[in-house]
Amino acid sequence: MIFRAGAVVAVALAFAGPAAACAHPRTSLSYLEGQVMCPTCHTTLDQSDSSAAHRIEAFIQTRIDQCATADQIKSELVANFGAGILAAPPHKGFDLLAWWLPLGGLAAGALLLGFGVWRWSRARTPEDAPPPVDDETERRLDELLARLD
Amino acid sequence: MRTMKLTGQVVALAAVAGLLGLLIWRLTHQSKPPKIGGPAPAFSLKRVDASGTLDLASLRGKPVVLNFWASWCVPCKGEAKMLEQASREYRSQGVVFLGVDFHDVTGDARKFLEHHGVTYPTVQDGSGSVADRYGVSAVPETYFIDRSGRLVGEHIMGTVVDAKDAFRRGVEAALTS
Repeated sequence: MIFRAGAVVAVALAFAGPAAACAHPRTSLSYLEGQVMCPTCHTTLDQSDSSAAHRIEAFIQTRIDQCATADQIKSELVANFGAGILAAPPHKGFDLLAWWLPLGGLAAGALLLGFGVWRWSRARTPEDAPPPVDDETERRLDELLARLD
Repeated sequence: MRTMKLTGQVVALAAVAGLLGLLIWRLTHQSKPPKIGGPAPAFSLKRVDASGTLDLASLRGKPVVLNFWASWCVPCKGEAKMLEQASREYRSQGVVFLGVDFHDVTGDARKFLEHHGVTYPTVQDGSGSVADRYGVSAVPETYFIDRSGRLVGEHIMGTVVDAKDAFRRGVEAALTS
């Protein structure tokens, strides 16, 4: 009986082996492929079929199998290839500009557009307004309206 | 209102000037091979075959054969044996062979060196910045540097196996000039 229970546990562990070995959820190659550049072809790994890209993919898969996190793998790649290996620049230092500059540009564009629309609408108001009616015309209009009543 | 209009114009002009500056910078900093006869671009890189770094300047006074390669490069495998043999042949004359591993995973590079029995020093140019300064577009490529640090001979683009004569001439030029 004990032997049978032990065998069941052993089989269960054998099947659960690689997945249960990590203390945290495993990252995946497909997740990292879109975030890592191929250094020779300047596209992300998932878009590249070069030998260099395949070697980097193999490295990533090996590290995933060893339970390395996505951040660890990216740090190791940066140490090996430099920051240019990442498709997106890091959120620190001078690289922050790459994140904030487009947002700043969008905000500035929206402000400019808003200002332009505001100026345009103000400039149009006097042109579209009907010319003022003089006293004589107003009196005649009143007479006409009175006759209609 | 007039001040605002003027400010807008100045900002737009500055933006255009900035973009133009970027374009000019990019055009003037495109990698192109250094001139043969001119100084070899300096570098200091981490070693693959040992710990520490190696500075090209530390080899001043010795003829140097500088070979750019990568473990994922198929033609590089074909020339590894010839380069190792040549390094042994010219070692007694003081010629230093130096491998520059380009855009490569360190573990793969070490396996390559071990597999092909490469005994000469090798440094790693993971980011490719040194290769850029040497105008390397595809590995393998080989340069020859004389004792005074000048590039001599021919810049071999492709394997040294396919350019044996140019390779011998390059080593001789590095030795004699």
